Amino acid sequence: MAAFVASKWSKVGPPLLDNLRSSRLLEPFGKFQDIASPGWNGLLFQQLRTFIQMRTKLKVVDNSGAKWVRCIQALKGRKGARLGDTIIASVQEAQPRGKVKKGEVVYGVVVRAAMQRGRCDGSEIRFDDNAVVLVNKQGEPIGTRVLGPVPHELRRKKHLKILTLAEHIA
Amino acid sequence: MRLEKCWFCSSTVYPGHGIQFVRNDAKIFRFCRSKCHKNFKMKRNPRKVKWTKAFRRLHGKDMTQDSTFEFERKRNRPERYNRNVTMETLKAIKKIDKIRVAREARHHTMRMKGKKGMEQKAAARELEQDISLVKAPLALREKSSLTLSKIKVKASQPQAEYPMEE
Repeated sequence: MAAFVASKWSKVGPPLLDNLRSSRLLEPFGKFQDIASPGWNGLLFQQLRTFIQMRTKLKVVDNSGAKWVRCIQALKGRKGARLGDTIIASVQEAQPRGKVKKGEVVYGVVVRAAMQRGRCDGSEIRFDDNAVVLVNKQGEPIGTRVLGPVPHELRRKKHLKILTLAEHIA
Repeated sequence: MRLEKCWFCSSTVYPGHGIQFVRNDAKIFRFCRSKCHKNFKMKRNPRKVKWTKAFRRLHGKDMTQDSTFEFERKRNRPERYNRNVTMETLKAIKKIDKIRVAREARHHTMRMKGKKGMEQKAAARELEQDISLVKAPLALREKSSLTLSKIKVKASQPQAEYPMEE
């Protein structure tokens, strides 16, 4: 019985299956298409993007000195943070002469999220990556420049300073 | 409120529909539905995907230059609201649409002109050459009514008949 099952699995290209299985285990929150569904080959790189939660790596897009941070806590939301929310993060990599150092615990505002967020007119918006702007406890940005596009949603959340520093508002 | 165009298929995106994707260089891509969005993620070129407007314009299936398109150009200046202007614009939109549809239909008929003649010629040639696919040549020799030969001969005179195999 075991030999029969093993022989069956060996027919289904072992290296491909191993890759799929191992990647499935590593990313419990990223969804891939079922192997059985037709055309899964082409759709393999279309992921279902989810919230920003603990251990999510985010790019820092201001000149506060940090390069990227890792989220420790999403301040609002049970499942995680979305576009426009504040998070607590730990600086993983920093530039040598910056306002923050590696290992510091900072607050940040999510300005770009790969997960789509619904707008009040019914459309949805999504960005290419997850990016954050470091702020202090009062919500004022630590840096003086913000790079890349930022969404309208910050206006609603009263992060007007970030909006004024932004070079493009999506 | 603004009616946008889908980046992939060029159809109008009405409010409440679609997804907009903002790339890191601040270029915004709007999609009318997930079909276009998924095709974009697959990195397909809309100029090569047959059902998009981009393909059809590029390959001459739909008309490209027309004065009715001038009315639809994007204007970035907000207009002060004037009720008369709004009513006139609404009437004008209907009229322009009618004209545009009529012109597109004309373009289509011009494109399809001569198709019927070509189809009939191809059918006649096929009947002449490939009738052996349908009926055996021996049967055709016996019943001359099944052939298209212009000379009507009796089956008892084999030398005057067209041989069906080329």
